Amino acid sequence: MDATELPLKAPQNPNAVQASDVDIVERALIDASTRVPVLMFYTSAIVWLLLGTLLAWLVSFKAHSPDLLANVSFLTWGRIRPAHMNIMVYGWASMAAMGTAIWLMARLCRTVLRHPVLIITGAAFWNLGVLIGVGAILAGESTGFQWLEFPPYAALILFVAYSIIMSWAVLMFRFRRGEQIYITQWYLIGAFLWFPWMYAAAQLMLFVVPVQGVMQAAVAWWFANNLMFLWFGAIALGTAYYMIPKVIGRPVYSYHLATIGFWTYAIFSSWTGMQRLVDGPFPAWMVTASIAAMILTIIPVATVGLNHHMTMLGNFQLLRYSPTLRFTVFGAMAYTVFSALGILISLRSVARFVNFTQVNVAYSHLGLYAFVSMILFGSMYYIVPRLVGREWRYASLIKLHFWAAAYGIGLMTLMLLAGGWVEGANMENAQLPFTESTLSILPYLRGRSVAGVLMAAAHFIFAFHFGLMLFGLGRTASVPTFLNPVEAEGSEEHIV
Amino acid sequence: MKGLAPLFIGLFATFAFSWLGLTVIPNAQIGHLDPETNPQDENDMYPLPPSGMAERGRHVYVSNGCMYCHSQQIRPDYISADIDRKWGERRSAPRDYVFARPVVLGKMRIGPDLSNIGKRAPAEDANAAQPGASPGASPNAQPSPAGSTSSPPPAPNAPNKPAQPPPNQPPGPSQATSADTAANSGEPPAYSAAWHHKHLYAPRSVDPDSIMPGFKFLYEKRRISGETSADAVKLSGRDAPPENFEVVPTYDAKCLVAFLMSLDQSHPLTEVKNTAAPAPAAASPAPPASAKEAKK
Repeated sequence: MDATELPLKAPQNPNAVQASDVDIVERALIDASTRVPVLMFYTSAIVWLLLGTLLAWLVSFKAHSPDLLANVSFLTWGRIRPAHMNIMVYGWASMAAMGTAIWLMARLCRTVLRHPVLIITGAAFWNLGVLIGVGAILAGESTGFQWLEFPPYAALILFVAYSIIMSWAVLMFRFRRGEQIYITQWYLIGAFLWFPWMYAAAQLMLFVVPVQGVMQAAVAWWFANNLMFLWFGAIALGTAYYMIPKVIGRPVYSYHLATIGFWTYAIFSSWTGMQRLVDGPFPAWMVTASIAAMILTIIPVATVGLNHHMTMLGNFQLLRYSPTLRFTVFGAMAYTVFSALGILISLRSVARFVNFTQVNVAYSHLGLYAFVSMILFGSMYYIVPRLVGREWRYASLIKLHFWAAAYGIGLMTLMLLAGGWVEGANMENAQLPFTESTLSILPYLRGRSVAGVLMAAAHFIFAFHFGLMLFGLGRTASVPTFLNPVEAEGSEEHIV
Repeated sequence: MKGLAPLFIGLFATFAFSWLGLTVIPNAQIGHLDPETNPQDENDMYPLPPSGMAERGRHVYVSNGCMYCHSQQIRPDYISADIDRKWGERRSAPRDYVFARPVVLGKMRIGPDLSNIGKRAPAEDANAAQPGASPGASPNAQPSPAGSTSSPPPAPNAPNKPAQPPPNQPPGPSQATSADTAANSGEPPAYSAAWHHKHLYAPRSVDPDSIMPGFKFLYEKRRISGETSADAVKLSGRDAPPENFEVVPTYDAKCLVAFLMSLDQSHPLTEVKNTAAPAPAAASPAPPASAKEAKK
């Protein structure tokens, strides 16, 4: 038996045959073929994550101490904030998501990765595009649209890089084996198809043949929301659909529910963009349509949540042992919280208070960090050992990473939600001077900085641990690294 | 799921639905607006294309990320306190932004809304937005009686910042430096060009509670040669330059201020009900074509 497969059985969907020696050799070959490209994506992503974390910390501190490093043009708050956001979006989350997606596609198409040079070139160009884009933002070349701050020349590099990666994905899908297309593949194919469309459409409508006036804001928010839901969200949900059944060795509870969840997700979440513009200078129907779509996203949230829950049922004790499962389930639960918050703040009666407050920041961090990033961390804990042939060295470091990240994002979200509500309530009270609302948020912003320290610690611990793996310093063991000693409880049946 | 065709058609169709519905159709509805001309007065057109300096100032605004803290949109009075706060007299409409590129509606209010900040400038100073006007000219343009040592003029800013103490109070000893004797003769009137420069350079010298970062890199500290420049920023206390030095705005800073002073949505639009002030008589015959969009 292949040690790296223990105790994690193949999903018993109709597609997966009983694990035989042939399958094990086949998987080993597939993993070996993805090794260099996926590790390249992961390494780049983690380097960007550390850079973005340092910037985030600076952003957070400057928010309550405005004179800190204020006199250097490229470190002014209004430049490092978009630099941080774009590093996290395009450097960290996109690269980590693409790395995971590549590996999942190879596994699920049951084919070795052909022409890895293509994908390595794509990754190199993507890094170049992010580097140039971030440099341009710091130099004052930002375009001013959320998540589209990279100037068009940097965006073009990203697009070329993406096309190279995409052309490979098409190639891989063409050589797939087996008739059935697994749930994860729906999400991945969707993400791979939607991303170039939304990115090209936004670039064209904002910079090439720019639309007039407020339509620019509508296009920009349409893009930003779709990037969150149909790019990051789709890859993260697809990953969760693979990891949860895989780790607990049990098929997905219901294919039927998964189908409903997928299509309602695609239809409704792609319509939610305009709720960010509530009561702005737009025809009311645009905003109302998005609020309605936002409320309807309760259908995919409920079906996906139910499906994961029923799959997990009876196996919750495995959360004590498997790092992958723990991160993935955290992310899947955060998806529910993120969507519930999204529905709540899109209601007009709530939005009037929170529309222009820190609640926005809490919302985007819940989505991009608690939901997407945690699932990506989980997938890395699963995939990296299969690429380097070693197991994670220290269970304690994984635990530290998890708890620091979980408490960090939890504290940050609470601070920003509570602070944002106070801020908004004061802002809507015209009897109070405006500065009252900014002063009332300051204690909460300091609290967020504390949360930022926790999250920074989590990321540096993870990067260190990943570095050990990369340099071949992982454990050579026949079983994966568990968070807690397994023999303690009656879960032996999962070991073999 | 069986077969590829349904999957791909479905993926394509769902996204096309969203793309058409949220960008293409709205663009057909509000993406081709013209400025509104007053039927009584051909010369009364709104909005007008921005001046070159204001245009450049918009890019300074964007490149330094001002929109991450300041919005430029007034919500209607039945849903928000924006109008109660005197940030505007009516809600913003798509037509207010026909020349805005890039548009900076903003999604955060760590600072106040700026949709009408140009409108709040003292009347004499309003033309400072035009290229070539000297931003430093404000103090002598003040119409008030000679006792101008009284700090911020009450008129435009009073409802906004009632808690603001006179900015000159705390730094007592600084009065001694010779460089700022000119500044002591009078604080720049609120929202004048001189006030904006002072505020951008040292926000807390204007409002001690501000958490805006200073933008000192948009200003140049240089040795005074001969006389103090007319556009030197009037600073006092801790922010004042050393003796024989002055702080002057760079061209970018002047453009930024020109842009800020060009922000004014007070002109009535036929499609928007003016909630604060009674609309001028001219606005009554509403052309049906423009009334249907952005009603409400």
